[in-house]
Amino acid sequence: MRPSSERQPERSDRPEPSEAVVTRTIERRQLHPERAGAAGDDGRIARRRPRRPPGLPWILPALALSVGVIYYGIGYTGYISTLNWDGISPDPPHVGAGNYTRILHDPVFWDAVRHTAEFFVVTFVVQTVLGLVFAVLLHTRLKLAVIYKVIIFMPVVLAPAIMAPVFRHMFAPDGELNSVLRHVGLGALAQPWIGQTSTALPVIMAITVWEWTGVTFVLYYAAMTQLEQSVLEAAKMDGAGNIRTLVSIIWPEMRGTTVALAILGAIGALKTFDVPYLVTIGGPNYATEFLGTYIYRMTIPLDHVGYGAALSIILLVAALIISIAVQLGGRERKARD
Amino acid sequence: MFEVRTWRGRTALQVLATVLVLPFLFPLVVMVKGSLAGQGLRNFTAVLAVPGFARFFVNSVVIAAGVIVLVYVVTTMAAFGFAKLHIRFREIYFWLLLACLTLPEVVLLTPLFVTAVRLGLYDTYWAVILPLAALQVPFAVLLTRNFLSGLPDELFEAARVDGANSMRGFRYLVIPLTRPIAAAVIIFTLIAAWNDYLMPLVFLQTPDMQTITLVPQFFVGEFSNDQTKILASAVITAIPEVVAYLSLQRLFERGLSAGAIK
Repeated sequence: MRPSSERQPERSDRPEPSEAVVTRTIERRQLHPERAGAAGDDGRIARRRPRRPPGLPWILPALALSVGVIYYGIGYTGYISTLNWDGISPDPPHVGAGNYTRILHDPVFWDAVRHTAEFFVVTFVVQTVLGLVFAVLLHTRLKLAVIYKVIIFMPVVLAPAIMAPVFRHMFAPDGELNSVLRHVGLGALAQPWIGQTSTALPVIMAITVWEWTGVTFVLYYAAMTQLEQSVLEAAKMDGAGNIRTLVSIIWPEMRGTTVALAILGAIGALKTFDVPYLVTIGGPNYATEFLGTYIYRMTIPLDHVGYGAALSIILLVAALIISIAVQLGGRERKARD
Repeated sequence: MFEVRTWRGRTALQVLATVLVLPFLFPLVVMVKGSLAGQGLRNFTAVLAVPGFARFFVNSVVIAAGVIVLVYVVTTMAAFGFAKLHIRFREIYFWLLLACLTLPEVVLLTPLFVTAVRLGLYDTYWAVILPLAALQVPFAVLLTRNFLSGLPDELFEAARVDGANSMRGFRYLVIPLTRPIAAAVIIFTLIAAWNDYLMPLVFLQTPDMQTITLVPQFFVGEFSNDQTKILASAVITAIPEVVAYLSLQRLFERGLSAGAIK
């Protein structure tokens, strides 16, 4: 099948750089056009384009690993979600869709859904604004720009699990945040940030914004670098000021980046686990319970493994629906443009 | 891009940037300052003197290296297959992979736990390496395939006509040409593996096997509630990441941003 297989490499020891192969082949094609693609073993004059060799063996390891682990896991989770299982008993009773109907009447589940939605909206808006502002500021030939950039991006690199004790310390009643507030005369605002239901979720949001604004900033910064200079200059010639240019020209041009960040934020919100689990343990009184932390709580400490599996399937379906909706939306927009 | 000519305007922007960046700096200051409170540097020596502290780093390195090697090899091969070789029903296989992109890892908790115990992988590196790699591969393949598809087919056909089989094409064309995208893949895989918390939490039981993301919890037990020691341990575990980022700034910023756009 492969035209190349008849002529095994004559120079197997040659550590060829890729260009050598290409140039030599092009020369040969010009010298012997009849040999270029004419060696199909079916005897016919072969297509001009030699048929590509089989690729299935090349993708099998990746499929075995990802599709194997993940689809197996999903299938297994789906099966467990129909059981009333504590994770240990050898013969758990089947309850059909029982876990799912219980979830629909579970107030904590709906709390977790609401927290996820609020969390997504707030963190996405704040990160977008901050990321844009930083990107614009760092495009104005600021002094010491590298230092600002490093400070904003550093949190992206640091593990949330390692920073969690720092945040617990910082937001504690006698922690650094309250002491700063007292020093600047805002002592009235000092409060037990992670200990009360009204501020615990905003704290989780603030930590997430701290962690991810770096990515938003870098993406907007890069997108702004690719703007057409001529458009910006034209706007300036027409008398548009900096703010006007930002609102009327730059922001619309950033739409692709913004949409991508929205998808990332939505999926990230559904995946949220580390920060609420480590900083507030989902509390107080479930005030920072997310789907991820609720699944963990049900599955590991509480041993409601079947229930946790049903929650997992719901989470998975939500993630799939969101990504498909976004894909379709993106396609429609492309068609319209 | 933006021009602010007046001295006053420039100062105002500088002040604005400084004010906005302070909240980002604050937790880092809290961390370092807290770690030096009380006994000062003795907090660090106390943490470093805890037997087995180095194990956390060794385990994190082993796991991150394992995930990176696995993801890199499997991804580059698959991207080559998808982009440049003949596969019947190619797009179906590709969509099978892509559907895994948005998977929250917590969904795999129970099945992987049960399976790991059954196969005797529980509390071994493999129990963490395999799922972490499996979760990174779909996106890595998407990125690398797009990159390879951007390279001219003629390059690969020419090599073939010249007698190079797929193996040699992979070795002498794919591997060198995908270097830029491989750097991004390696960086976001590194950070994902190094920073992961849930998998080590669930699958690694003995302190001998645990990773640096479990260090804070370990020290809460070790030093009961001595916050300064816990913060000192946080500083020490953060140092490798800070150093890696500072020395490879551009690579990290590009890699992690590429990894973000899923």
